[in-house]
Amino acid sequence: MPTMPTTTPTPRLALAALAVAALAVSSAATGAASSVGGSGEPARPAAAEGKLAIKAGKVIPGPGRPAIDGGVILIESGRITAVGRDVEIPWDATVIDAPEWTAFPGFVEAHTSRGMDRPNENLEVAPFLSVRDSIDPINFYFEDALRWGLTTINVEQGHDTVIAGQGIVVKPWGLTVEEMTVKPVAGIKISATPKRTLSGATQAQVLRRAFGDLRRYLEDLVQQKREGSDRSRREALFQGRELEGEKAKGRAMEGSAWKVEGLERVPRGEIDEKQEPLLALVEGRMPAFVYCGRPSDVRLALEVARENGFLARTTLVVSPECWKAAGEIAEAGVPIVIEGGLVHTERDPFTGKEIETFVPKVFQERGVRFALSASNSTSESLWYQAALATGLGLTREQALSAVTTVPAEILGLGKRVGSLEPGKDGNVLLFSGDPLSVSSWVERVILEGVEVYDRSKDVRMKHLLEGVTPPGTAAMGEEEEVTHEDEGPPPEAGDEKKDGKKDEEKPPPKDGGNGGNGGKGGGR
Amino acid sequence: VKRGVSALLALAALAWALPAWTLARSEAAARAEVVALQAGTVHLVEGGKVLEGGVTIVLRDGKILAVGKDVAVPPGARVVDYGADAVIVPGLVAANSPYGVGPPSRRTADPGVLAVDNFDPFSSAYLADVAGGVTSAYLAPARGRLIAGQGAVVKLAGDDLRRRVVSRSAALQGSVGAEARDVPGYWDPPVPATVEVGLGVAEPQLPRTTMGAIVALTELLEAARSGKEADAYGPGAARELARVLGTGLPWRIDAGTETEIRAILRLAQSERLPLVIDGAERAGELADEIRRAGASAIVEVDVAPNSAGRDFGKGRDDRWPVFDTAARLVRAGVPIAIATEDSVRPRDLRFAAAVASRGGLAADAALRAITLGPAEILGVADRVGSIAPGKDADFAVLNGPPLSAASSVIATWIDGEPVWEAPGSEAAGSKAPGSKPVVIEVAELYVGDGEVLRPGQVLMQGGRIAEVGRRVAHPLGVVVVRGHAAMPGMIDAFGHLGLDGSSKAPPTDYKLARVVEPGDRVDRRVARAGVTTVVLTPRGQSSSGTPMMAYKPAGHDLELMVLSDPTALHFAWTNTRNRVESGKDVREVLAKAIEYEKKWKEYEAAIAKWTPPEPTPEPETKKEAGKEEKKPEGASAPERKDDEKKDEKAKGKEKPEPEADPVTGIWEGKLALPPNESEASLRLRLRLEGKVVTGALRCAQVSEGLVALGGTFEEGKLALAGLGSRGFVTLGGEPEEGKLEGKLAVGGTEIELKLERTTKDLDEARRPELRREKKPEEKEPKGKPRAPGTDAKLEPLRNAMHGEGAVVVDVDRAVEILDCVKAFEEAGIKPVLYGADEAWKVADALKGRVAGVILTHQVLEVDPRKGLSEQRNRFAELALAGVPVAFHSAAEEGASDLPLIAAYAVAQGMSPEGALRALTHDAAAMLAIASRVGRLAQGMDGDVLLLDGPPLEPSTSVLRTWVNGEEVR
Repeated sequence: MPTMPTTTPTPRLALAALAVAALAVSSAATGAASSVGGSGEPARPAAAEGKLAIKAGKVIPGPGRPAIDGGVILIESGRITAVGRDVEIPWDATVIDAPEWTAFPGFVEAHTSRGMDRPNENLEVAPFLSVRDSIDPINFYFEDALRWGLTTINVEQGHDTVIAGQGIVVKPWGLTVEEMTVKPVAGIKISATPKRTLSGATQAQVLRRAFGDLRRYLEDLVQQKREGSDRSRREALFQGRELEGEKAKGRAMEGSAWKVEGLERVPRGEIDEKQEPLLALVEGRMPAFVYCGRPSDVRLALEVARENGFLARTTLVVSPECWKAAGEIAEAGVPIVIEGGLVHTERDPFTGKEIETFVPKVFQERGVRFALSASNSTSESLWYQAALATGLGLTREQALSAVTTVPAEILGLGKRVGSLEPGKDGNVLLFSGDPLSVSSWVERVILEGVEVYDRSKDVRMKHLLEGVTPPGTAAMGEEEEVTHEDEGPPPEAGDEKKDGKKDEEKPPPKDGGNGGNGGKGGGR
Repeated sequence: VKRGVSALLALAALAWALPAWTLARSEAAARAEVVALQAGTVHLVEGGKVLEGGVTIVLRDGKILAVGKDVAVPPGARVVDYGADAVIVPGLVAANSPYGVGPPSRRTADPGVLAVDNFDPFSSAYLADVAGGVTSAYLAPARGRLIAGQGAVVKLAGDDLRRRVVSRSAALQGSVGAEARDVPGYWDPPVPATVEVGLGVAEPQLPRTTMGAIVALTELLEAARSGKEADAYGPGAARELARVLGTGLPWRIDAGTETEIRAILRLAQSERLPLVIDGAERAGELADEIRRAGASAIVEVDVAPNSAGRDFGKGRDDRWPVFDTAARLVRAGVPIAIATEDSVRPRDLRFAAAVASRGGLAADAALRAITLGPAEILGVADRVGSIAPGKDADFAVLNGPPLSAASSVIATWIDGEPVWEAPGSEAAGSKAPGSKPVVIEVAELYVGDGEVLRPGQVLMQGGRIAEVGRRVAHPLGVVVVRGHAAMPGMIDAFGHLGLDGSSKAPPTDYKLARVVEPGDRVDRRVARAGVTTVVLTPRGQSSSGTPMMAYKPAGHDLELMVLSDPTALHFAWTNTRNRVESGKDVREVLAKAIEYEKKWKEYEAAIAKWTPPEPTPEPETKKEAGKEEKKPEGASAPERKDDEKKDEKAKGKEKPEPEADPVTGIWEGKLALPPNESEASLRLRLRLEGKVVTGALRCAQVSEGLVALGGTFEEGKLALAGLGSRGFVTLGGEPEEGKLEGKLAVGGTEIELKLERTTKDLDEARRPELRREKKPEEKEPKGKPRAPGTDAKLEPLRNAMHGEGAVVVDVDRAVEILDCVKAFEEAGIKPVLYGADEAWKVADALKGRVAGVILTHQVLEVDPRKGLSEQRNRFAELALAGVPVAFHSAAEEGASDLPLIAAYAVAQGMSPEGALRALTHDAAAMLAIASRVGRLAQGMDGDVLLLDGPPLEPSTSVLRTWVNGEEVR
């Protein structure tokens, strides 16, 4: 490949160069597995259809399970079929032999608002939106997710909303959203905390009114049907909605909170698409992720969930300060995702002393199931959260389950991801050491039996740490001048932090590198 | 570092998280407990009733069970007594607060907005209000809208989040004032458009004028009453208003000008709305109209005018403050509430009520306007606002009349729990734990130097007197004590208290501080009798002088107990066996002292002339500036060191192997106190002799004063017991290698205990002033004059020559007195004469030549040859001649008779004023301790007596005693 001129590239040039790189990656990956940045390499055969055997020096199958020294993980057609020491490797299996490395299940991110073009929509109540339409497969976030070992990610709308759209669970690999999808509807995002400059009372009013409006709408529909009006049918046909099969049938309202009598008269297809997701919520068919930015919001969140019958399917996404409402959360029995840090700091108003609280411990003691979240920040990824939590007082088991099995259960994927067991998805991370050690690297990522990331071929990492431009990639001029440029997709919107900067990458464990500054915890 | 951080965090988690959830669990148990609150005065508010003279309030489960003067404390109840000077009023109800207010809606009328949704029960912002006695507050949903939403009433503290909301919906908040006319000129159509409501256009929105406001309200009411939608006001507005109308919620409408008030009054009358006029600062003129309309009013008072720092001037009439609005409204019969401005925290609500009463509002009506008044207006009077059985146990405990500016809140209770208490002053220099500032207010304050303030007040803070005057500062939360008279603590100028019967004379350089021990019960009784300072004098004499030490019998720590050691040297001039020898020993000592002083003078002169070579280690001007520095450090330090070494050797001989004594020493540690694991620090001073252990325990939470402990140490087990102010205290445990783990039991409660021995050497611990900062030894530059050695035996005399110490001489006959005074004069010392039976005969010759005279008990001198007609009062004779006299007890516990001795002298003709001075300032001055005791003046030790009558009346007794600012109990 021709090299770029050695003049100082402008950011625009750098961006262009990156776009070229991204395209190159994409084209190489078409229809086959490849590794990030390894565009110069020939494509490997698609392992998803075949068999893959991973021989690791150590296999940690998941929290609460004993580690296996010299274990083998066998993945067939994307699913794990065997994990153990004495697993017979089929002759036709591709073998990854890694006696130095440790195999670990992929991390599960229970809630993030990244990977979209923009995290928030202007509408206050918009449950009919779907994050699916906003996912950007070449968003830099997904590439970075692989470096950090996130293999299952729930992308939900941002917090600046009242009732937002439906989230989607994806894996960070694929050219299209369909290819990435793990679970098409993860749940509706609701925020109990108002946008900045807005009133909490208004937020509560809009939130309650949305369900009141739904009820009135349904009652109105039933009334119309009783009166023999076919207005809703005409409306449905006008909007081009499907009115056949199941959609043509009416069904009595389900759910535990409140019911509209006579809903069985209304064919389900005639219910407005804008109202349908909320009805699913009330009928208990839809999970909800409710954001609480302040402890005082917890009461509203739980109250609305209780009154409308979706408490059992609710997960609270809480800020660290919400430890103060741990009693209410424990009483409600809902799981939580802790976002925005693990330690809450405040000053005593009288003495002025700073008081620090280690949040997960409070919830642990209260018996609340919690998942840790990378808080929309790349540098504080899940392994870091888990490692920090062990340092602050959680046991290793508790910390690991908060980034694997618990978030998997929260997403309803407890049988698919979160640990290395036969029958589960073939999502395996190969670490150069212990997954919670500062000096370990994610060396390989296997997603559903496909090796999608190889650190030795990670162009950006190489470029950052070693200053080399591997053959087959677009050259980017003098390394010092480009390493700190923003790259990839267009700048992300509003409140989303731009943490994807290269200077927060991991430095190599031994020589310290020439580009990185600080260790894994450098972002803190 | 990581481990440190995690430990820290774990601690923090313990300190915060644990109490929160243990409270939740033990809540039921805690609430079932019966508590009896006691105070001198209780304002019930209901019916304007005030109970005085010892009132009890019984509470359980956060509610008041009974209140009254003759209410018996139920058995098993926990008694909390705030004392006879405390005043309890119902927890204040703030009709205005800045909390919960959100940005206003875009719509002019949004009755569905609930302020309670904006309530943050976890916020610590309310603490300042709670400290001001405010327990409940109104939250507005928003302001500046025709109908902003529904306000709520909440408690400002408490752990039970459900109890915190008193009323979810207390009033419909609105405004017809200028602020409501700032609404956006249009309302937004719903986005996205629905089948029902199509793509809308922005529509104009009322109001822009007062008439527009009235029209809008009328339209909304009409729509709500007829069940229609008022589309121009947005979807749902009329529907939600209809719901509000059904509940009969009061309409709290802001109306500032008379026009606005009249307009809204007319509307309220025609529509029959329960109206509350908000912000009715200038509604005085309309009082009768308001009453006729059946409306109530909330009167805002600006407690901090121009706090924004912008001077608008008062060019317009409506800028001039009006003080009589509240009074006029009340006179007209309008129910009112007084509130602070809606943008400021309600912490100064009490002050606002006081300001509002300036216009003629009676004190009880003003108190009602910040308690029951707002509670009734906001519909929460069934729970808060007054003190009555069945109501919530919310109180503000004050140290004076509720509306007096000098009163402040000392505690606040919400739902039967103390949620705030005035913190103790931790002023620098105060070693007394938890000593709160105290103000003593009396009709007659005897300052001690002859001055009397009528009335007078003393403020004690940090163990010292902070202010004396007719009216002194009252820091927030100060404990106020009222009584008839107060005076400085009395001084026993010559006593044996503390000697425990010993009659041996110690060597001249002996430190008497070693014989006294803080916390002695007898010592405390002497102090309670009014004698707060005793100049301890050993019995027996030594020719080179016996040390005397001024100490405070009730001092709670040795550091505070010992005023100076030695305070004086005691000599005997008179030799009763051989009067020819009288004064011989003293003269010898004086000659040595003169020589000693001469050497020092020479040295000082030499060092003043001497210019040190470069670089100057120490500026010499210091030496010339004054005589504060008597001893150049360089020379005296090694000398002193030697002394200490000798001291240590001597101690070593006295004591067996230090390792063999695992008990003696100071033990310190922290303990967690039930029920809420609050932390307290404990200090233990123990001495082991054989198997017997004696000592003292100090822990403010276990006992108010020191607990004297006694017990045994056998087979490695320590068992101690003593009596504290909160009951019997026992302590048991096994000391091992400087650590003591055991149990402390106080009044039936057992507490786990972990202590560490901070020092084994009691003597060292008790003499902190000996452990001076050791300066790094510098090499003496060449040619520097060498200092003479320090002689501990002569040092007190040298101090006396400089007026910094005292010399007390036993001498009786007139001739000897004159000889003695002359001898001391040569040495430059003004002695204190002790005994001095015949001193009155030569009183004129003594004037100005002696520091004072400590007379024996025999007040009257009767000449047997002349009979009773010629009897003389020796105190009076000397006092009249201008020679200061002092009283003394020459006894141990008998020190407590000192006030009687003085009263007797008065009965025999001495002036009461002179006797008072002799008991206080004169005694202190002659013994060179006047810089700390003897007078009530700023910076002096907080030793004060509260009396029930004029001092030195035999009928007067000492009611209460404070030593170093802390009450002696």
